[in-house]
Amino acid sequence: MDDLENAILICFESGPVEASLKPQAAAYCQQAKEAPDICRICIQKLWFCGLVQVQFWCLQTLQDVLRVSYGSMTLEERSFVRSSVFSMACLEGVDNNENVVRVVEGPVFVKNKLAQVLVTLIYFEYPLVWSSVFVDFMGHLSKGGVVIDMFCRVLNGLDDELISLDYPRSPEEIAVAARVKDAMRQQCVPQIARAWYDIVSLYRNSDPELSATVLDCMRRFVSWIDINLVANDAFVPLLFELILSEGLADQVRGAAAGCVLAMVAKRMEPHSKLPLLKTLQISRVFGLVSEDADSELVAKVSALVTGYAVEVLECHKRLNSEETKAVSMDLLNEVLPSVFYVMRNCEVDSTFSIVQFLMGYVSTLKGLPALKEKQLLHITQILEVIRIQICYDPMYRNNLDALDKIGLEEEDRMSEFRKDLFVLLRTVGRVAPEVTQHFIRNALANAVESSSERNVEEVEAALSLLYSLGESMTEEAMKSGSGCLSVLIPMLLTTKFPGHSHRLVALVYLENITRYMKFIQENSQYIPNVLGAFLDERGLHHQNVHVSRRAYYLFMRVVKLLKSKLVPFIDRILQNLQDTLSQLTTMNFASRQLSGTEDGSHIFEAIGLIIGLEDVPAEKQSDYLSLLLTPLCQQIEKGLMEAKVARGEDFPVKIANIQFAIVAINALSKGFSERLVTVSRPRIGLMFKQTLDVLLRILVEFPKVEPLRSKVISLIHRMVETLGPSVLPYLPKALEQLLADSEPKEMVGFLVLLNQLICKFSGSLRGILEEVYPVVAYRIFRVIPIDGLTPRTGAVTDEEMRELIELQRTLFTFLHVMATHDLSSVFLAPKSMTYIKPMTLLLLNTSCTHKDITVRKACVQIFIRLIEDWCPKSYTVEKVPGFQDFMIKNFATNCCLFSVLNTSFDFNDANTQGLLNEIITVQKVMYERFGNAFLMHLMSGAFPSANCPQDMAEQYCQKLQGNDIGGLKSYYQSLIKNLRLQQNGNHVFR
Amino acid sequence: MALPNQQTVDYPSFKLVIVGDGGTGKTTFVKRHLTGEFEKKYEPTIGVEVHPLDFFTNCGKIRFYCWDTAGQEKFGGLRDGYYIHGQCAVIMFDVTARLTYKNVPTWHRDLCRVCENIPIVLCGNKVDVKNRQVKAKQVTFHRKKNLQYYEISAKSNYNFEKPFLYLARKLAGDPNLHFVESPALAPPEVQIDMAAQQQHEAELAAAASQPLPDDDDDTFE
Repeated sequence: MDDLENAILICFESGPVEASLKPQAAAYCQQAKEAPDICRICIQKLWFCGLVQVQFWCLQTLQDVLRVSYGSMTLEERSFVRSSVFSMACLEGVDNNENVVRVVEGPVFVKNKLAQVLVTLIYFEYPLVWSSVFVDFMGHLSKGGVVIDMFCRVLNGLDDELISLDYPRSPEEIAVAARVKDAMRQQCVPQIARAWYDIVSLYRNSDPELSATVLDCMRRFVSWIDINLVANDAFVPLLFELILSEGLADQVRGAAAGCVLAMVAKRMEPHSKLPLLKTLQISRVFGLVSEDADSELVAKVSALVTGYAVEVLECHKRLNSEETKAVSMDLLNEVLPSVFYVMRNCEVDSTFSIVQFLMGYVSTLKGLPALKEKQLLHITQILEVIRIQICYDPMYRNNLDALDKIGLEEEDRMSEFRKDLFVLLRTVGRVAPEVTQHFIRNALANAVESSSERNVEEVEAALSLLYSLGESMTEEAMKSGSGCLSVLIPMLLTTKFPGHSHRLVALVYLENITRYMKFIQENSQYIPNVLGAFLDERGLHHQNVHVSRRAYYLFMRVVKLLKSKLVPFIDRILQNLQDTLSQLTTMNFASRQLSGTEDGSHIFEAIGLIIGLEDVPAEKQSDYLSLLLTPLCQQIEKGLMEAKVARGEDFPVKIANIQFAIVAINALSKGFSERLVTVSRPRIGLMFKQTLDVLLRILVEFPKVEPLRSKVISLIHRMVETLGPSVLPYLPKALEQLLADSEPKEMVGFLVLLNQLICKFSGSLRGILEEVYPVVAYRIFRVIPIDGLTPRTGAVTDEEMRELIELQRTLFTFLHVMATHDLSSVFLAPKSMTYIKPMTLLLLNTSCTHKDITVRKACVQIFIRLIEDWCPKSYTVEKVPGFQDFMIKNFATNCCLFSVLNTSFDFNDANTQGLLNEIITVQKVMYERFGNAFLMHLMSGAFPSANCPQDMAEQYCQKLQGNDIGGLKSYYQSLIKNLRLQQNGNHVFR
Repeated sequence: MALPNQQTVDYPSFKLVIVGDGGTGKTTFVKRHLTGEFEKKYEPTIGVEVHPLDFFTNCGKIRFYCWDTAGQEKFGGLRDGYYIHGQCAVIMFDVTARLTYKNVPTWHRDLCRVCENIPIVLCGNKVDVKNRQVKAKQVTFHRKKNLQYYEISAKSNYNFEKPFLYLARKLAGDPNLHFVESPALAPPEVQIDMAAQQQHEAELAAAASQPLPDDDDDTFE
């Protein structure tokens, strides 16, 4: 063993070595690689060194050298490498030496590496330099299995490294692949196909492994060689004979099936594909799919059957003559039963493509006037397959009920898996609604009666089918109980389902009732059944907390739909809910397992909706309400006292308790309309007003506790809607508390509340705003610069920046709402005057440069209102000194002219057109209010600074004085376009 | 087979080859087990590093010699030479980098050329990152080649055991084999569910700050 061999062995770590030795060995190998005669050394070693590591290394090195420096190798060198590796592959000796190593008899990884070296040579040399490689190789195939195997490895290598589209390829590789394929098609593909045929015929019994290798190799080539070389009278019978030979190894039979699938899937014109599909007589293999489900052969044949079906369907879709339609439909009818069988019995993964196929099949039925008996049968079979596939495995029953880790995982997996199947179900439901509904009814009935140990899963599956179907059903169909819905829904409501204690069954049961409420609305005789389902242990009182929490929410939705129809049942409902409510109002927060939206507050909303109805007698109504409000308010008061003395971990628990009570009051109030509370039943209004006192106390005690603050704000929002103007007296105190020390983030919520108040009360809010606005403005203009916040694109905006931008956006809305609700006088109040300047500057900058066009538009609209409010037509003393001047000199020039001149102002964008409308309007308004002062500035200041020709400017001013707004706009647009051309887009902002 | 500086063990051991583009998290993945620290800094692996990882199954202890190969070498080094005698493999890609998934077929091809018919797991790593580029549904390669696919997050230990369990079952030929004891893992850097939870909460908070949250009449359909 020489040093190089030693170093290679060390690199491959075959044996414990000293740590320092490895890098040394690696360096030695690397050095050897760079030697000028490395090819010769490698070839030498390949002939005479039997160590597989050395052989692998030498072949890898040869390939590297070829790839990196083929161009700089001498012709002799190339020829030497070529003839040497070819001799090795074809089992030829060298120099008549009998003792050479037979590389092709080495391990797989060495043989494959040798094939790679040959493929690299083909890459550079075929067909120009080494045109005979394939023909020469075939001359050696008679030497037997070893050479045949090597030949296949070379062809496979060619496919892997160059031809196959499964791998990313460079443009250069694609070009080489085309060159190689063209040359092979012309020169040797027919001979190669012949060789495949001969070899398989010869070795099918004696060497099944070799036969399978050859077939696998052939399968790769079908996609790009002449189809007639394989789809012919010789190959097709041979392949089917192999597939159907029972005594033969599965490997060969499966490989033959793979070849047929490749032919079936080959890209061809449909009018030549269909005859091919027909001549195959695929039904011959159908019997095989029902054999041992786990065998490799069944998997291969299943793939063939479904692949065949996909192609037939494709032909059916793309060929339009009556005859071809009939032929393809016949073939489809023939293959479908096997597809269903495969789908029922196969592994999950292959189901996916079958679902896609079935979706395609059902879609083709959509266009047909009436379904034939056979097609209806197929529809039912598809439904049955769906039903079977969506059933949970009973082994997960307990996990799913408890929703532990395994259960959660299984439920996730299943809901993902069901998605496509449900899409298929709904497609079927649209094509054959009656059949689908009947199927579901039977599935439900069978599941109920089933004594099988899977019955819980079967019930769940049938209910899930029903639920999913409902998603695609029209409101009309639901209301009228079309099809057998009028049987199905009553059946759903009156049947006792096995496994109702199971979480999944109970959940999907309630979801179904909610989904089909439209039917129940029309058939109110079933309302008691619905109430029963929700009020007993199937719903709100279900033993599983996941179910009961969901039931709160669903019950609320049901109540919303039934509303006044529930009046006769109020006592019953409240009686049934007594325990639940008292539990919710007294229970400690920690045990409430608060999770997202399912915190239990929905049940309060549901009750509010019922007792808030006008149909409830006044006396009763206030009794009911006080029954609920009193404990909730008590809970808040108690919580406040406890929170004040609570420490550490206890504090958040107390706060959360208060929080829940606020949310509950909020939810409860949603059912009471403003009219009822303020006009017809003022007593109710009084009761809600009392809760406002409690709210104020919360703000006084804990103004800085964010969760409380946001819940209180939500409730104020709510009370504004419910109580209307009678909430006004409470506002000053509440707003004062909310405003105290608020951070920018909190200011956003505050402004949103103000916006609502302004929209609701307009002028009545003036007094309050005059107090509040100066404080708001002071806070905001301290953090927002007058040129506005514009995050640089690409720059990372941190959390604080984002908050400020959010605040700025809300501020614009706030100012807009103020201006458009006749409240601009608030800006002029003595304490606010000092903020006019920063405000107008901010608005100006924003209206010129803000990235969001709609924000710019809003700012221009604000200016329009300010001009109208502050600049009366015939004025004596300026209301706001300097404002008119500012508008004419700054606003008119920068916003109305320069910002429009900027090429980023895109006339083709709809939003920008909206902005342009406002810019035209504001100029019109300025002309009306400022008259000649404005025109003078345009003529002598603005237009000249934009190098606008005098005549155009004059014409514009003339149009401005006219009444044709449309004409004004289109003229302005063309004027701007002209100016842009003239300036070549190089205008600089002033 | 014997390995340098690692004493042989008297329980079943297997050579596991980990391949995939550079930066997909192969090294991070193997280092989650026992030995420890999660390395935020990215240092490309040179050549190969072998980590012995032990697992406790109901049939006894097993060891995977994990060959953490370099994802970036084009020439030089042994490259696919390291795969020789590999008994199972993990192909790793990064769900936040599409190209790493595009290259999966090439890694698979190179692997199969050296080790025919070994069990292989495809792993989509970094699922904890919000900005995914490869969605779970777009991952189809494993179907074509009959591989097992798992989404993992080396950072959060999410599904760390899954690839090993699958390979152990395949190698033992026992589909019911299971791990009886969790391996000691480095503490998770992020809590994957917590992250989702936080986002959820942020959304809820945002919704709460809107005036009069809209009633959810038509959230279905």
